[in-house]
Amino acid sequence: MALHVSTVVVPIDFSIASADAIETALEIIDSPSQLHLIHVMLPLETMSPGVLLGDITDVSRTEKVTTALKKLAYDQGADGAHLAVTVGTPGLEIADYAKRHEADLILIPSHGYHGMKRLFLGSVAERVLRHAPCRVLVLRRTDNE
Amino acid sequence: MSSNSLKSIFFFGCLIIVTGLNLTPLAQAQDSDETVVNQSDISENEETTNESLSESIDAQFGIIVGNMAKVLFWEPVPAVPIPLIVLILCCGSLFFTIYHKWLNIRGFKHAIDITRGRYDNPNDPGEISHFQALTSALSATVGLGNIAGVAVAIHTGGPGAVIWMMLIGLLGMTAKFNECTLAMVYRKVRPDGTVDGGPMHYLEIGLQERGFPFPVARAFGLIFALFCIGGSFGGGNMFQANQATSAVRGMLGDIAGIDWVFGSVLAFLVGLVIIGGIKRIGQVTEKIIPLMCGIYVLAGLVILVIHIKQVPDAAVLIVRSCVSPEAAYGGFIGVLVQGIRRAVFSNEAGVGSAAIAHAAAKTDEPVREGLVAMLGPFIDTVVICTMTALVVIVSGAYNTPEAGQGVEMTRWAFSETLSWFPTILNISVFLFAYSTMISWSYYGEKAWQYIFGTTKQAVIVYRIIFLGFIILGAVASLDNVIEFSDLMILSMAFPNIIGGVILAPRVKDLLKDYWRRYKNNEFVVYD
Repeated sequence: MALHVSTVVVPIDFSIASADAIETALEIIDSPSQLHLIHVMLPLETMSPGVLLGDITDVSRTEKVTTALKKLAYDQGADGAHLAVTVGTPGLEIADYAKRHEADLILIPSHGYHGMKRLFLGSVAERVLRHAPCRVLVLRRTDNE
Repeated sequence: MSSNSLKSIFFFGCLIIVTGLNLTPLAQAQDSDETVVNQSDISENEETTNESLSESIDAQFGIIVGNMAKVLFWEPVPAVPIPLIVLILCCGSLFFTIYHKWLNIRGFKHAIDITRGRYDNPNDPGEISHFQALTSALSATVGLGNIAGVAVAIHTGGPGAVIWMMLIGLLGMTAKFNECTLAMVYRKVRPDGTVDGGPMHYLEIGLQERGFPFPVARAFGLIFALFCIGGSFGGGNMFQANQATSAVRGMLGDIAGIDWVFGSVLAFLVGLVIIGGIKRIGQVTEKIIPLMCGIYVLAGLVILVIHIKQVPDAAVLIVRSCVSPEAAYGGFIGVLVQGIRRAVFSNEAGVGSAAIAHAAAKTDEPVREGLVAMLGPFIDTVVICTMTALVVIVSGAYNTPEAGQGVEMTRWAFSETLSWFPTILNISVFLFAYSTMISWSYYGEKAWQYIFGTTKQAVIVYRIIFLGFIILGAVASLDNVIEFSDLMILSMAFPNIIGGVILAPRVKDLLKDYWRRYKNNEFVVYD
């Protein structure tokens, strides 16, 4: 049975694996306009030096990430993809975004941490799987992380 | 509930169980005391309940601290009572200073030029300017350590301790340079422009680069992070809350339950920023801190000018008693250890905490931020601590029993000459304590995130525990609080200095390259 999808959400953490995920998504869909790239930022820490003394705000952060997302989409041949930047817990935000945009598929790379890193860091992919409203395709890691 | 918050709860559950095991004999003792009290049929009013609760919390806290001290303040040579960690700090600072060829002296002028903004490129990656990074780091280090800590050093180590404080302040400059440069080299700049850096990162990545296996490098990072969390509850929190409460008690009198009330108010005010997200309060405080430092130093200078005749005698007393100390202060070693402990507690050189703040600087030259960081211990210890010490000595507060100890001794010393100054001192104490707590909550949270992850739940667990420690600090006694704070903050130096020495060749190479370009006038000047 062929997999028919019209809206794919790809979470982006700007790792090499994110770029690979865009490439895979483009193989599935017909046009980049069906692609949604989302980056979830951590909540701003009100006691960080950048907030207390510098000019870091959610607006400045969103601008920077949007620029980086645009560049990544362009570099990966996905110009025209929808770009989204949100604040919160990555797994939940991604699932929530997919729900709001009635996505058919979430395509997410797994960093596949092992041992200590796995024990302490947990996994965004795991949380997306638990909360996703649609099918989830988890890409296996290809590097040696 | 996420797995990370479960891990946080599990971690603290273990801590509470361990604590509970330690407390069992005490709890039993209290039970039997209660029986005696009941038999004699004494009714307790609210005041005594409050007092006994504070006392029992303090006593239980004292037992935990005592057990930890046995391990962390271990003295390797029985004949010479120097705790291992003080030895490591001392030797580490000396090593960095010699290894980087007295950069604290030869790089001083250039460090000031950088801080003035001569080389600030607004397009460099990072969050804040060099000057702001220094202000941020200073708001964490300039605190009650400079006002109360110096008085404690003189009270327990005699006037001679001041010399050792100054010396370790000067040597600590290069230790600070080494760690802040490393923090810059191994920081992560996120796509949103924020920065994540500090010893836990340079220990984990840097040590692997030097050929250490991942588990060893990660263990260094984890040990540092654990002590950093402890430090954020101790020196960065309880000590500040304790001495700020002491200052309020000195001002308003010994009103029953005031420590509980003031501790709760402090916790609420810190909570407004770190949980409530009201950044304006923190922003205003951070901006007032340099002004308060200025006022404090100015008032100190006024007192010294008024007592100018006594200053030479005070200087002679300090120099003489650093090498021929009175037995009351524990002999030569006692004075040395006190001086070093209080200096490092105040300027945090070698401890690695400030590296977390300096990593946020806007620059692509790691060495440049290291040079700026070097000014921290100079301002903190060589200028501000020495000022406090001289005022305490020329006013005679150090050998006047009614002057009290800690912050009370410093207040007594200032009020001897400037009767109106205690009011300003109390405001300074409050603001220094407040800004130190906010800055340290950031350090502690970064370390917490390194272990438990960055999820919202994990972070909120840390912040709530942090607020709880503020109240605990307000009700506990100074001795126990100082011991705990020292234990945690000084212990951060174990992984940081050992790792810093292993990674020092990398810093040396960067410094060599930077210095060559600086001498060849290859840098763009922006003013």
